[in-house]
Amino acid sequence: MIKRLGFDRYSALYLWAAFMLYFGITKNDTFISWTTFQLVFQENVFTAILALAFLVPMTTGAFDLSIGAQMSMSLVLTAYFAEHQIMPAGLGAIIGILACGIAGWISGFIVVKLKVNSFIATLGMSQVISAFIIHTSQQSINSPFSKEYMDFGAKPLFNLQRYFYMMIILAVILWFVLEHTPIGRYMFATGGNPEAARLSGVKTDRLVWGSLVVSGLIAGFAGTVYSWKVGNYDSSVGPGYLFPAVAAVFFGASQLKGRANVWGSLIAVYALAFGIWGLHLTFLNSIWIDPLFQGLSLLIAVSIASRPAVVKITKRRAEAKAAAGEPPEEPIGGPSPAPELR
Amino acid sequence: MSQSYAAVGDIEDVQQGDGRVQDTLRIEHLSKTFPGQAALIDVDLTVAPGEVHALVGQNGSGKSTLIKILAGYHQPDEGGMAWVDGEELTLGDGQAASAAGIRFVHQDLGLVGSISTVENMSLAVGYMTGPGGRIRWRAERKRAREALDAIGAHGIDVRAAVDTLAPSQRTAVAIACALLNWEDGAKLLVLDEPTATLPGDDVNKLFEIIHRLRARGVSILYVSHHLDEVFELADTVTVLRDARKVTTTSVASLDNSGLIELIVGHHVETLDASDDPTSGKPVLTVRGLSGATVKGIDLNIHEGEIVGLAGITGSGREHVLALIAGQEPRVDGEVLIQGAPVDNYSPRDVIERGGAFVPAERTTRGVVGTMNVRENMSLSTLGQFFRRMWLSRRGEVNATHDWIDRLSVKTSSTESPIGSLSGGNQQKVVFGKALALKPRLLLLDEPTQGIDIGAKEQIHRLVDQASADGVATLVASTDTDELVRLCHRVVVMVDGHVATRFVGADITTEKIEHTQLQSSRRTS
Repeated sequence: MIKRLGFDRYSALYLWAAFMLYFGITKNDTFISWTTFQLVFQENVFTAILALAFLVPMTTGAFDLSIGAQMSMSLVLTAYFAEHQIMPAGLGAIIGILACGIAGWISGFIVVKLKVNSFIATLGMSQVISAFIIHTSQQSINSPFSKEYMDFGAKPLFNLQRYFYMMIILAVILWFVLEHTPIGRYMFATGGNPEAARLSGVKTDRLVWGSLVVSGLIAGFAGTVYSWKVGNYDSSVGPGYLFPAVAAVFFGASQLKGRANVWGSLIAVYALAFGIWGLHLTFLNSIWIDPLFQGLSLLIAVSIASRPAVVKITKRRAEAKAAAGEPPEEPIGGPSPAPELR
Repeated sequence: MSQSYAAVGDIEDVQQGDGRVQDTLRIEHLSKTFPGQAALIDVDLTVAPGEVHALVGQNGSGKSTLIKILAGYHQPDEGGMAWVDGEELTLGDGQAASAAGIRFVHQDLGLVGSISTVENMSLAVGYMTGPGGRIRWRAERKRAREALDAIGAHGIDVRAAVDTLAPSQRTAVAIACALLNWEDGAKLLVLDEPTATLPGDDVNKLFEIIHRLRARGVSILYVSHHLDEVFELADTVTVLRDARKVTTTSVASLDNSGLIELIVGHHVETLDASDDPTSGKPVLTVRGLSGATVKGIDLNIHEGEIVGLAGITGSGREHVLALIAGQEPRVDGEVLIQGAPVDNYSPRDVIERGGAFVPAERTTRGVVGTMNVRENMSLSTLGQFFRRMWLSRRGEVNATHDWIDRLSVKTSSTESPIGSLSGGNQQKVVFGKALALKPRLLLLDEPTQGIDIGAKEQIHRLVDQASADGVATLVASTDTDELVRLCHRVVVMVDGHVATRFVGADITTEKIEHTQLQSSRRTS
């Protein structure tokens, strides 16, 4: 029953539909409106982009926890250059994005060459970047951007701003690379078993390294989008977006294909975002809802994702009904959404 | 159910009435059905006291299922019954089996590698604590040493991490762990493929332990693919084929080919005579190859030639292919494939020069466990399916189907997770991945380790066929019979050097094994 209706692989879509239905009925005056859609889609573009940034190295088995800090570094650099009129904002944005790519390159060097666990390497990198940001920004920078610059990214098109479509284009590119080119397959192989992949001729080190550079560039782009959307910087930007992005990727990994994937991640971002929005309408002035909801959804999502393995164990123990198919000679690890830490 | 209980009473009455010696283990009418698949059909098995009873059969014949039911991993179908020393045993209950005196050493040994023997034993039976919960380490160490002494395994450092022990020592530790609290009544020790990861020389040490245990009255149920071990060790052998018991017979009444026939179900030609090597161009040239235990190896392999690499573990045999194929970095020396030098520590470069590598230890190095059959099979040759900026799914599926047919891989689909296949079929997929590269050089490291005799023979035929097509092959194996079966030339390694080379009719099991052991400094 669960399989047939796809509650396991499409749980985020069902959840999304459930939110729409529930809040559509209880809050039908405010929830089902174009404003809601516009707001939720646009407000969560950063989370979506950061989720894509986190997704890329995760396919190779590496975690990048510095994406939140990289996002604010890109924003700070762009704003700083504009504020001091060093260069046009557009060029500043490009330099901001490249700086994040360089930070990713350094993380990659530490992970690949110095053999430091990616979790540790990027956590350390995150703090170093934070120091740089605080030193440069002195907490906040106010609206330094020109109107042309803002218009370039934030001009509305069919009632949604341009950066929303840019995010979609980015997602399509990543989906294509990950699912329809050898590079994507090599990345998943590296995440699955780096030694077997390497012995099969896959350049695993380059993929891990490159994926950290790419995640830096994407995180930097999230900073650029923020500059278009909000137009100023304060120190709360960035790290706060890390958690929802990570939660969405883990949730998304349980969706559609049973491994980390682009559309699953985006669906997860927006399913959760609509849920949070509905809750905000229900409980006014309730900022605590965000972390609570995100934390719970991550825990539940990963529990669902490890369910096949848990079910297997429970079945084996209770042996209520025989497991599906022929018993394999070797135990199969359940499809875990989290590759091993590198 | 009540009827079968009545039947139990009858059997016991009869047995005791006859005054016969009670069987240590008696299994009757054991069946196990998985959806769409009968894994065991009405199997009977009796193990007499002090007997070494071998259980043999191809992968998928039901050996593993039987052991797993005994160990309590699987619940049998209704109707299956078992008794230990005449006492009824609840099947599918691990604790009941343990309480009845059945102990298990599984293939992976079930030890935690990063901690010591002492701690592994404490994990098995609990720590001995003094006042305030202090662990009595001295008493723990004493217990560990005594447990090892009891099975005749001396000279093991019980404080060293299990990973740092020799393979035979690890097996001894696993057996000692299983037999802790022996006095509680360990009656039957089940050894599941205990030699799968043991180098040839260490096998004898295991045999000594088994002989000692038998002398003390413990029955042994011994599962193995190695038929020579069955002949050397076992009193009785039970053969399973296609989920049914074929026969139980005394080992003395069988010869090697007779046993193989029982296992496979039809006549198989063992030890095909290998053809003479075709004289051709050199494909692989190795000069002064050195690594941790390899000290300057020179090799030349020509087109169509199959060269075997023998040697006990520790002789360097186990590192040569890893060094050539880029699995481990070389310290010194050069490797040329088709005349072109190969970069150090670069499997990619080996492949680009026309080599293909099947590494030892399939699960850690051969397959990507998170991927399916197709993705594993095409991993090395993915580029050829990338046409018009798109990875052609259809091309990939078709190619995978071809390989599944050619290698007779048993899988329900190209999209099945690789872990759902048996070990032998997984290894065939790894082979397919290598052969798909259309290599000029095949590097095979323990290519048939732990797989059944049918799959093994198929893999051997694939190697023969590749050789006939002019592929040069280097194969390292602890299975001397395999080298005799396959090779035109066998190189025997001792202490990191090439000790001897055998060609043609000189390649015999006796000569190879004799030469392997000709080392004065042999320690393990």
